[in-house]
Amino acid sequence: MINNMIQFKIDGISVEAKKGETILNVARKNGIYIPTMCYISKTTPCASCRMCVVEAKGVEGFVLSCNTPPTQGIEITTNTKELELERTNIMKLYDVNHPLECGVCDKSGECDLQNKTLEFNVSTQNFSTREQHRPVEHWGLINYDPALCIMCEKCVHVCNEVIGDDAIDVKFGGYSSTIIPKKGDTLDCTFCGECIAVCPVGALVSSNFQYSANAWELTRIPATCAHCSGGCALEYETRHVGISNRDDSIYRVKNNFEFASLCGAGRFGYDFDNKVDEKDEKAFTKAVAAIKSTKAIRFSSMITNEEAHILQLLKEKLGVKLFNEDARKFKEFMNAYSSISGKKHHSGSLDAIKQADAVIILGSRISTDNPALRYALTTAAKHNGAKIVYAHPMEDALMQNTATQFMKYEVGTEEGVLALLANAILNDADLSEHERGFFDALDLGYLEAESNIGDEEIALMMKSFVRCKNYVLVIGNDLIAHERALNIAKLAAIIEKYSTFSLVVVPNEVNTLGVSLIADLDTDEDINDVVGYNAKGNFLISSLKFANLAVGSLNQQEGTFVSIDNRVLPTNVAVPFHGYTLNDIASACGIISENTIDYTSKLNAESGFKSVDFDSLENFLSPTGDDLRGYLLNEVECKMDGTLENVGDLPEFNGTVIYHSNPVLQFNAYTNIAKQLDKDTTLRGSAQFAQAAKISDGDRIEISFGSRTIQRNFKLDNELKGTIALNPIFDDVADASKYKFEKSKIVRVVHE
Amino acid sequence: MSKVYFSTWNGELVNNINTPIEEWKESAYNLPAQYDDHRDSKAFIGWDGVSLFDADVDVIRLAMEYAAQYQEYSEACGRCAPGRWGGRILYDQLDKIARGEGCVSDLDHLREIGKSMQMTSKCEIGKTVPNPILDLMKHFEDEFLACINEQKPSKHYHANVGYIAKITAPCTDACPAHVDIPGYIEGVRDLRFDDSLMATRQTMPLAHVCGRVCPHPCEDACRRTNLDEPISIMALKRLGADWETDHGYDFFHPMEKKPSIGKKVAVIGAGPAGLTTAYYLAAEGIEVDVFEELPVLGGEVAVGVPEYRMPVDKYNKDIECVRDMGVNFIVNKKVNADDMRKFEQEYDATMIATGTRISKKVYCENERASIKGYWSAIEMLDQVNLWDKYAIGEKVDLSGKTVVCVGGGFTSMDVVRCAIRANAKKVYMIYRRDEKTIIRNTTYEEYHEAVEEGVEFLFHSAVNTMTDENDVLKSLIIDKFELVPDPNGGRAELVKVEGASYVIETDFLIPAVSQSADLKLLPEEWEIEKTSWATIKTNGKDYMTSKKGIFASGDCEYGPMTIVNAVGQAKRASSVMARYVQTGEISLTDDEIMEDHLRKLHVYDKKEKVTGWLPGLAREHSEVVDVDIRKFNNMEVNLGFTQEQALSEADRCMRCYYIAMIAT
Repeated sequence: MINNMIQFKIDGISVEAKKGETILNVARKNGIYIPTMCYISKTTPCASCRMCVVEAKGVEGFVLSCNTPPTQGIEITTNTKELELERTNIMKLYDVNHPLECGVCDKSGECDLQNKTLEFNVSTQNFSTREQHRPVEHWGLINYDPALCIMCEKCVHVCNEVIGDDAIDVKFGGYSSTIIPKKGDTLDCTFCGECIAVCPVGALVSSNFQYSANAWELTRIPATCAHCSGGCALEYETRHVGISNRDDSIYRVKNNFEFASLCGAGRFGYDFDNKVDEKDEKAFTKAVAAIKSTKAIRFSSMITNEEAHILQLLKEKLGVKLFNEDARKFKEFMNAYSSISGKKHHSGSLDAIKQADAVIILGSRISTDNPALRYALTTAAKHNGAKIVYAHPMEDALMQNTATQFMKYEVGTEEGVLALLANAILNDADLSEHERGFFDALDLGYLEAESNIGDEEIALMMKSFVRCKNYVLVIGNDLIAHERALNIAKLAAIIEKYSTFSLVVVPNEVNTLGVSLIADLDTDEDINDVVGYNAKGNFLISSLKFANLAVGSLNQQEGTFVSIDNRVLPTNVAVPFHGYTLNDIASACGIISENTIDYTSKLNAESGFKSVDFDSLENFLSPTGDDLRGYLLNEVECKMDGTLENVGDLPEFNGTVIYHSNPVLQFNAYTNIAKQLDKDTTLRGSAQFAQAAKISDGDRIEISFGSRTIQRNFKLDNELKGTIALNPIFDDVADASKYKFEKSKIVRVVHE
Repeated sequence: MSKVYFSTWNGELVNNINTPIEEWKESAYNLPAQYDDHRDSKAFIGWDGVSLFDADVDVIRLAMEYAAQYQEYSEACGRCAPGRWGGRILYDQLDKIARGEGCVSDLDHLREIGKSMQMTSKCEIGKTVPNPILDLMKHFEDEFLACINEQKPSKHYHANVGYIAKITAPCTDACPAHVDIPGYIEGVRDLRFDDSLMATRQTMPLAHVCGRVCPHPCEDACRRTNLDEPISIMALKRLGADWETDHGYDFFHPMEKKPSIGKKVAVIGAGPAGLTTAYYLAAEGIEVDVFEELPVLGGEVAVGVPEYRMPVDKYNKDIECVRDMGVNFIVNKKVNADDMRKFEQEYDATMIATGTRISKKVYCENERASIKGYWSAIEMLDQVNLWDKYAIGEKVDLSGKTVVCVGGGFTSMDVVRCAIRANAKKVYMIYRRDEKTIIRNTTYEEYHEAVEEGVEFLFHSAVNTMTDENDVLKSLIIDKFELVPDPNGGRAELVKVEGASYVIETDFLIPAVSQSADLKLLPEEWEIEKTSWATIKTNGKDYMTSKKGIFASGDCEYGPMTIVNAVGQAKRASSVMARYVQTGEISLTDDEIMEDHLRKLHVYDKKEKVTGWLPGLAREHSEVVDVDIRKFNNMEVNLGFTQEQALSEADRCMRCYYIAMIAT
């Protein structure tokens, strides 16, 4: 055989397995049902339920299908009387002493234990044992009831292998085995809530959702998460608020946990909808007038592609300028990239990262910037043993179990760092004469000295990559807003072009990428006459507080985003919005369209958008986990007219530097209003930072940076090192589109 | 042979019920009839059956206590549905009967749940726990029915009986350090590499080392062999250690260091035995000073095992792990008899772990150390490794030279392969026996890698004479031997082939036949007993020498042996020492007593038929650096598993945990 496929039979049907596939995988792919209670596709088999046993011809005893690869020619039978009997007995065991409280259990109606108990027709119980007293544990956003827990271990597997928090553990002890927090008495984690998602019974539940609704009362609205560029699929689950209030409200968020994951902001930060009782005609008239007369519209990237398209039409029709520094910088970065690579879109994706065994991440505190990317890295680290180089001026404790090498560089020297990396990676590459000249001209000694990246670190990285096959370079937001961004983009492009690295550039906001592809953006000028659309302006049209005209939030709209994967993803209305939309304003300005989503098929083809109607966009994963949501942007050829500029002097940042970076679960003004999400607005710094700034834990401080001065409390964080502190921006204190490191002046506020 | 009243052990039914004790038939197995020197065993019950040494055993309670031990004592349990609930049901139902509250249908339920556990449990422990219980229910059904029918407690339900249980596995039992092998493989399988490493470190602090250069006797006792091929156990060990190192974690210690108990122990020698002793003693809150003669730590693994087999940066991680437990190291300190006398006063106990650092002679004509070119293996490897790993001393350059090594074990392999890397023109290995034996004494990989690199093996050969000119080695006369079978069926004998001798011109003769211990540090007046092969004598269980408070482990006790053997001895010794320094008594824990019983019984049964697993899944082999690249440098030859290989190999592990229990 030329291919490495293994031929065998399941229930008489001839099937094939790839290397590494198990009997269960192949059965599922071929639509053959084998019952399981503990299996979850995205992790290694938990192998605890034993329901998936099958028989193999010529083999005595039962074989576990979830973790056994087939052998050539083996004949598997999935359903015999003996198997049925033992599987039924396992179900009886699962039911031993399981509390009969389905009536008040959150899981009732969507509970695997209920379903399988019915499936196996277990109506009597031969087995009994002494009951044990096990109180419910309260872990913040999560409650754990050990009495309901069937010890499938799914939660432990996802937490460790997919998320990377590794925060829960199995405490072994036979019948009294239980799930416990791994570190300390209570759960210390990023509260992604994946453990809740994968729990097949009601053992792990959302403390906020508990007892609030039954599964069968909720309507599922498939949507795309609106908090970062990860493009995670989620379902808002809604129900009317009550008897007197028939309005729908979001009760919880769920995800297809079998294949995909979600962070805590996506899962718990869903209540950012803008409540408006009725259409405010007066405000609308003012808004239309404001748009018609304004010089510019400033808007954020937390809008749909269709809204961006409408704004572009307004620009074309009314001649207004469009300000969005975040998307504009991203666009310029990608244009510079295209000028070397000859194509519009970066080649990598989150899936490529999951498959990778060698990754470099440069210029992002990725665990909070883009949790989906972090989870992809966790998968790569755990499942592939990936060598992951994390290059950043600040260590991140959340990255320790993914990163195999931390490259700490000096703030501002990113261009030099990338030049050093490119120089090592492209050492033997077949570069053009000019490109080779660029590398020959590098003053490596200077770059190493200024960036503080030694040649031994680069050598260690190259050595660790030796046996690797799938490489990805991740470029973070620090680089996009860097003053040398364009040359950095070109360096990234040249690595992608001449090596086996694929490239992922992390967009800053949920739809930075989409906006950058659609809107023709102008450099933001500090002028007075600006209408703000979900952004600052003299006249505010916004889904946030203090708007002159209220519009709907992203969970109240239909439309599309472009994710980090260059995938155009649909999102839907979870909660109705009773006010006006941007489309209404545009219509009043003569740009007429019935629905915002009528623009979905009209999005900019030059950027790779396809002419597909919104209503024909799918929004689900296939039963085997293929992502069928929306579509991937077409690749677009670009002119290769860029050249690398020589790397000049690298900047220096001295004194107390702050890094604008959000804490876990926080991204923006919308997560800031989500009820369940923690809102830590402290400046967090190391002991060394505290000493340099002459402040101590708990101090009220005044921080001056750029042209702003704000007050915060200072929190000493023992997981941090060095003289850079973390300054949150979700509470809108700094411009998220700027280079995230800033020199600052810090003074303790003394109360008289 | 053991005298038993009744036994079903390993399918052998010995039934002496109603037979006078003088007429009892014996069991063919080495069953633990005597628990320790002051306690008899009443019964032994385990994965393979049950043996009663006494007619008065309460079999119902025995069954119940066995289920209880499985349920409560076993940390391996709780990982699967049949084992977790099934085990509890076994326990509760048996206890119900034993209390005198059972009913006949309970017996049916026990049989049903027992069968489900046998068919579907995750590990062998769950699959095998019902075995002896069902045996007892079958052969002593009357006693069960009597309790049920009369609703009375079993005969010794309220008596004070000791039940001592122990978890083992065939591989764990065969490992001299009794490493929890299924535990660390499960850690790999579950991608919980910290757990994997901690499972290893419970009894083996040198995870990097024994994940690379262990001769893995465990793999000869792997039950998977009965199905297809043994698990690549050793290679999976380094995953945990590499994870810790690659991700820059602090050390994952499996235990918390206890607060100081105000006791001090001196350890002589910082090799595997010394490091192991120090690690586990320090964990007990004992102050440990380790004295090392060489300028570097690590003993023979540092200066004997070459860099290409055991990279020193990895070994240093193991050593740092020991240091991290709070151990003091004193290097460049050769301990002499006076020091020992002082230590006896200053420390609460002393461990001698000085290894065997004197190369034995070849025993040929004209064998003189004064001949230039006569170079002991220990000295040669010291020089090579001190330079290669620490840049101490001088580089060994054998350009243009011919090297002859006499040996056949690991040390000789290291010598010849180092000679290749030192650019020798020609390297011979002289060995008295054949290829098969050299592979058995080392490993298949080691031998083949040496052949690939260009070492010429001369089998059935021995050096007869060293020929020198003015004390400079010129050539060797080599005798040829043949194996002559013993007509009486005994071991074949090596007989010299007359007239077949030949001459090899050479610059070096390196004897690597064996090593002996340098015991000059023992004060003569202590009269410490030695073995007939001139090592320190202990009873092989508690590792105390004939002098109270002075312990010995590793090669200086056993003779030149493996790293894992040294670790195993030292681990046991450290446990004994930790109690000794507090109580002045020498004792073994129940766990250790059980460990020794099970070792004698042999947990692995190569004839056992394995069911419930799909055969024919091939063992993974790790990639080895190409010979043309590796023979010119010190690159680690074995690259280890890729993650994909490791996970696939880990999935082959059958988790053959077993639980055994003795009633006293």
